[in-house]
Amino acid sequence: MKELSGKTHISGYLFVLPSIVTLMLLVTYPLLYGMYISFFNTNLLNQWDFVGFSHYGDIFGNLEFLQRIFVTLKFTVLTVGGHFVIGLGLAILLNRKLPGQTLFRAILILPWLLPEVVVGLLWKWLLNPMYGLTNHYLFKFNLISAPVSWLSNVDVAFWAVVVVCIWKGFPMLMLMVLAGLQTISEDLYEAAKIDGCTGVQSFRFITLPGLLPVLLVSLILDTVWWFKHFTVVWLLTQGGPANETNIVSIDIYKSAFEFFEFGKAAAMAVIVLFVCTLIGYVYRRMLNHDND
Amino acid sequence: MTTIRIRMLLLNLCSYIVLIIASLFVLIPSLWMASTALKRSEDVMSTPLKWIPDTVSFNSFIRIWKEYPFAEYFANSVFIVFTATVISLLFSALAGYGTSRFNFRGKGTFLTFLLMTQMFPSIMLLIPFYKVLKSFGLIDTHLGLILVYISFTIPFCTWMMMGYFQSIPKELDKAAMIDGCSRLRTFVQIILPLSLPGLSATAIYAFLVGWNEYMFAFILTTSESMKTIPVGIAQLNGFYKIEWNDMMAASIVSSLPLIVLFLFLQKYFISSLTAGAVK
Repeated sequence: MKELSGKTHISGYLFVLPSIVTLMLLVTYPLLYGMYISFFNTNLLNQWDFVGFSHYGDIFGNLEFLQRIFVTLKFTVLTVGGHFVIGLGLAILLNRKLPGQTLFRAILILPWLLPEVVVGLLWKWLLNPMYGLTNHYLFKFNLISAPVSWLSNVDVAFWAVVVVCIWKGFPMLMLMVLAGLQTISEDLYEAAKIDGCTGVQSFRFITLPGLLPVLLVSLILDTVWWFKHFTVVWLLTQGGPANETNIVSIDIYKSAFEFFEFGKAAAMAVIVLFVCTLIGYVYRRMLNHDND
Repeated sequence: MTTIRIRMLLLNLCSYIVLIIASLFVLIPSLWMASTALKRSEDVMSTPLKWIPDTVSFNSFIRIWKEYPFAEYFANSVFIVFTATVISLLFSALAGYGTSRFNFRGKGTFLTFLLMTQMFPSIMLLIPFYKVLKSFGLIDTHLGLILVYISFTIPFCTWMMMGYFQSIPKELDKAAMIDGCSRLRTFVQIILPLSLPGLSATAIYAFLVGWNEYMFAFILTTSESMKTIPVGIAQLNGFYKIEWNDMMAASIVSSLPLIVLFLFLQKYFISSLTAGAVK
């Protein structure tokens, strides 16, 4: 018997081995190497000047990067918040088993199935100041009197970008919540009804607690995904106007591949890694706490 | 009784109104994409805006294949994403089986590590990947992007597969082994065929990730003949004059594989995704 369990140990490793080797080479190693790069002033070719922590010093000594982090946090909170309000609301409606709900579900998933590049370009077209659909209808209903250049106007660009990112991302939340809702047993609601619970009460005492694990996992993933987001914002504004939408990933991209400050860009990426880990840690504490 | 029925009716009515507004918010942009793609170049910017053009034209859909290297982009994307999906599926099925059936030292660490990789900002890997691929001469090659995409997908796919294998009773493995099957044979001949729904969900996930990916493909490819679809389409955006109808046609064509794939397999997909995420 002992022999068998000894054998299973080895078999377990053998099954996992290909993944472990791949991830060591393709994730762990690049990650450590990225940290290494952050200590150098380098063009990644022949110039490797060790500068210690001075990139980090520069980054924190200079308000600009902190401002970018602030813009990114604002962007993330608003986007993820939008996903939650819309995704949760729609999931609850779709769970009511009304006739035609399959059709609504199919329609509402659509933004999630469109590639990010497509979403970016499509909205760039919709928000086009001269020929865009948005301005056309706002004109028609007398909501604006002059064309708004949504993506190059300092006052509105940030909000336009947030709306597009909410549009792209809410279906994911909706799907997760919907799947979560379907795991809550009908019996619980029946029992609550017999005990005289109102709809609001059964939502508060049955639906929310039942959904909590799904909600928290989605919250972690969604926050981290959008915190490091690049494509849609890049295609819409490239970080402009006046750095209004210059979120961290765009800033890192520009430092590395436009200004060729690879070391500094790597240092910024390390800081983003820490922020993401922190976000994950805080949420996980919440999750563990609520499981007790 | 009647007041309850009226309240139910009102509630349903409100639900429908909200659902219809939300659907319009999704459908109007999508239909405008289709409408633009079906316009002749001279009609795209004509005012007043028309939903149904006077002359419906499929020229954009033809032009993207003829005048742009769209076929090449498409072939690149299909090859890269397909290969990455197959490798990722193979490795994650093995790892998912291993973690669902065996206890071994370091298993917990491995699983936590998989979750952690979802937290890493991919931008963190961009610069080191660029340097490493450059040193190995893999910039501007299919292999370079395949490596990047499997590193993105293996962790989450492993979680999805593990969740699925856990739902298959272990007694099946035991029975097969008593009949004289080896571990590997049990896995390949008994368990894998049973996991088809889980495998297809995982495959969609991996395909979706690769098909959508833009940033890495944008930086790690330089020559026209190596570009993937997202990079190719986004590039249309940079020209002096933007041909919106062509761009929208290309957008529709590039979204179709995902939509079709998803329609066929959505039931498996959603349940596996949540199983992987929640467990």
